[in-house]
Amino acid sequence: MKSLYYGLAMSLFSTMLCAHEFTPTYPKFKPSFIDDASVTTMKLWNKRSDVRYYEVTVFNSEWKPIPFATVHRLIKLGYNNQVKFDIYVKNNNVRNVTYICTTSKQLNEDVKSTGVKSRICSKVK
Amino acid sequence: MLKTITFTSAILLASSVMAAEFPIVGQVSSKCSIYTDTPGVYGNPTPDKLSTAPTDGGVLPIIRYDVTAADYYLAKISWPNAFTSSPTLTDATDWDGEVEVSNTSDAGMSGYEAAKVEYDNHTEYDMSVAGSTWFSISSTVLYGQGKSLPGGEYKANVVAECIAE
Repeated sequence: MKSLYYGLAMSLFSTMLCAHEFTPTYPKFKPSFIDDASVTTMKLWNKRSDVRYYEVTVFNSEWKPIPFATVHRLIKLGYNNQVKFDIYVKNNNVRNVTYICTTSKQLNEDVKSTGVKSRICSKVK
Repeated sequence: MLKTITFTSAILLASSVMAAEFPIVGQVSSKCSIYTDTPGVYGNPTPDKLSTAPTDGGVLPIIRYDVTAADYYLAKISWPNAFTSSPTLTDATDWDGEVEVSNTSDAGMSGYEAAKVEYDNHTEYDMSVAGSTWFSISSTVLYGQGKSLPGGEYKANVVAECIAE
C-alpha cells in the first residue's frame, strides 16, 4: 500500500514537472504596425524542468522554412514560466505560412540517457 | 409629490443595480501538451548492445500527450537513430525501436495502436479522442560486428511532436 502511494505521488510529481504547451492551435495573422508585414501572437508555457530553451520555426505546407521575424528565435524560458511573443511575416509570404512550431532544446548536461525533444506545431488555416 | 417620485426612483434604481448579473466567462480552446513522464535509460546487456528494454536492464521512456479537444492534433513520435553524444565510434551502429500506446484515459482510444502509421523511425497517431495518452518508446542499438561499445556515456533523443491538423 505504501509503495502504491509512493508510486502515485511520484507519477503526479513527474507529471507536474515536465510539459511543453504552445497555443493557440489555429493562429491568425493580422496587419501589424510594420509596413508590408503581418503579425500573430503565440503563447509558450514551459513546464519542463529539464528544458530552458525553445526554438521558434515557421514552415509552409511542405515543411520548408519560411522567413519570419520575432524578438528571439531561441527563447530562454524558466521552468513554469510562460511567454507571449509576436511573429512577423511579410505580407507576400503570409499565405504560405502553415505551421508555427516551438521545439525544446536541451543542453547536453540536462539530458539523462535518452532525452525527449518535444515539438508542438500550430497550424495557420 | 416630487419627494415621492424621487424616493420611488431611488428604490427602483437600487433594485435594478441589485439585480445586475455577473457572468462567469470561460473558454475551452484546443490545446496539446507533451509531458515527459519517465526519462529513458539504456541498459547494456551485452558488450555490443544498448537497450531501453527492462529485460535488458534499461528503462523505457514514457511520454504523455494531453489533448483538450478531439481531432485537432497528430502525434508523431520518433525513436532515436543516432546518438546525440557518445564516445568516438569507429564502426557502424544499427538502430531499432518501437512506439506503443501504454495507457489511455479514455476507452475510445483503444483503437490508436491498430490505426498507427509507421515509417522509418517515425510513428504517427491521429489524436481523435480528447484526453491523455501514454506512449512507451523502446530503442535498441547494436554496434559493429561483435565489437564492444567503447566505454563512456551515451545519449540519444526521442522526438515527440504534436502537430495541429
